[in-house]
Amino acid sequence: MDPAERIEAASKFLLQSPPGEINDVLNDVRNIISDDDSLQSGVLPALREYNITQFTTAEVPGHQHQSIVSSAARIPGAGEDEDGELSQDRYWDPRSRTSFRFDHLSLESSDPEPYEPDAESEPFRAALENASLQYLQAHYHDGVASVFPVAGSSTRFVIQIVANKYNPNNYWSGRWRSEYTIDTSTKTLEGRILVNVHYYEQGNVQLSTTHTVSLALPPAIAPSGGASAASKVLALVEAEEGKYQTSLNEAYAEMGEKTFKGLRRALPMTRSKLDWDRVLGYKLGAELTNSKGVFGQPS
Amino acid sequence: MGDLVDSMLDLMRRLPPTHVEENVASLVAMCPDYAEDLLGSVDQPLKVLTDRATGKEYLACDYNRDGDSYRSPWSNEYDPPLEDGTVPTPKLRKLEITANEAFDTYREMYYEGGVSSVFLWDLDDGGFAGVVLLKKTLTPQAPGEPSGSWDSIHVFEAAERGRQAHYKLTSTIMLQMIDRSASTRTSKEDSTVTKGGRIASSEKPEQDGAKRDGELTLSGSMTRQTEQDFPLQDQSSHITNIGRMIEEMEIKMRNLLQEVYFGKTRDVVFDLRSIDDLEKARRQRELQKELVGFIKR
Repeated sequence: MDPAERIEAASKFLLQSPPGEINDVLNDVRNIISDDDSLQSGVLPALREYNITQFTTAEVPGHQHQSIVSSAARIPGAGEDEDGELSQDRYWDPRSRTSFRFDHLSLESSDPEPYEPDAESEPFRAALENASLQYLQAHYHDGVASVFPVAGSSTRFVIQIVANKYNPNNYWSGRWRSEYTIDTSTKTLEGRILVNVHYYEQGNVQLSTTHTVSLALPPAIAPSGGASAASKVLALVEAEEGKYQTSLNEAYAEMGEKTFKGLRRALPMTRSKLDWDRVLGYKLGAELTNSKGVFGQPS
Repeated sequence: MGDLVDSMLDLMRRLPPTHVEENVASLVAMCPDYAEDLLGSVDQPLKVLTDRATGKEYLACDYNRDGDSYRSPWSNEYDPPLEDGTVPTPKLRKLEITANEAFDTYREMYYEGGVSSVFLWDLDDGGFAGVVLLKKTLTPQAPGEPSGSWDSIHVFEAAERGRQAHYKLTSTIMLQMIDRSASTRTSKEDSTVTKGGRIASSEKPEQDGAKRDGELTLSGSMTRQTEQDFPLQDQSSHITNIGRMIEEMEIKMRNLLQEVYFGKTRDVVFDLRSIDDLEKARRQRELQKELVGFIKR
């Protein structure tokens, strides 16, 4: 394997990191590659992709809340050119109207600057944000939500939610991500929910779920509807996520009843463990009647 | 460079179990010098092969591999054929045949299907070692039905001490289950439970034109070890002893898997998000506190 292929393989490993374990995976990969110089610059694209797709949260400089680093949070128009790395790694937090530089390796944000949102879409975006933060309080133990306008459109918005729990002392971690793109002109909502859980005490067990939904928005939902239209959107999100979580419960029950039992019984039909002496005896008997002895016969 | 192997094993403990084969292949390509160490310590899903001589299915893993060939426990032949492939001594092969028959019965009793294979080999210190493999795959009967697979790998060492034998057992179970009904189940609920209490057909398309799709995968492996002494009457006692040990271990591990797969991973999901309104619960608790304070006054 040439160095470029090794970096590519390392990047694939990084992108598969379970919630909260990117640094552990990076440490392992560092040891395996044992060439820090080529690794550091080589895996940066993978780290960036991981952070963006996993809705990594960033401290907003000068503010008390966190914001989601995602492709929707990227400063519009920035980072189109390959060598413009600095501009590529600027993201913004609409809630505080701040843009900042984000370091994908250290996960630190710096260099805050005021950022003016699109005046036309901002009122409804802010209303969606309020409703989202309220919804977050109601259903997430420890989550972060951001609402972004879609660049170049005044009718499209992206709501993103992420909740993480890392408990390395007890060998588990979990992440819930959801994202909804709403379009008030076509009256549609496209959403997806992704859940990942890793349990690794003397083993490696992972839950990975995907759920996509697309549905029509009620006609009453329009940006002019303000706060009440925004809470109607979040009511739809609440209903969808609540139903999905309930159905996860049912899927668990069904897998336990059907799949798990179908793979291996808890006990044989006889409801007792095997009588191993008889297992050998039966076999011996069966073999003897076939006059093909197993024991004491030269092989 | 035990360090490097440790890093590779730590990596395999973290990356998704559904990709274990391609990730091991990547690591082997990155560090070919450590291929043997890695392949010997990372359990991968068992391959099902068919014995050309008997037509019977058997399982392939690192323990019955010689070069690119795998030995069948039924015919003792390598596939692709090997002139001088490693085979057990005649005495051990005899025990291996009996063990394969016994675990075939065990497989039928607990798995009601699937494939089993037992491979034995001599150890330098006079004892012997072996591996008991069991695999069952469930393929969905209809789209939307759950699917899954169970792979058991039990590696043991046996040391005779007069009329006693000491056994060391390392067991790994790989379990994977996939369910595609969770996402569409929400759609069904939409149309089955209507406000008026009428039951609509679950086949009916959704009124709001909503589309839903998704998948739930639970996958992974767990490993446990145990040691035990048993009395030894004759050579066949080894099979009853190991049989009892493995049966006990699988019962224990099945309970453990059930707890982790269906209990722990579910609990983490509910630690992230709550179905019930947390804000309402918070308000209720405060109201209660106030009430208690009021009564005490």
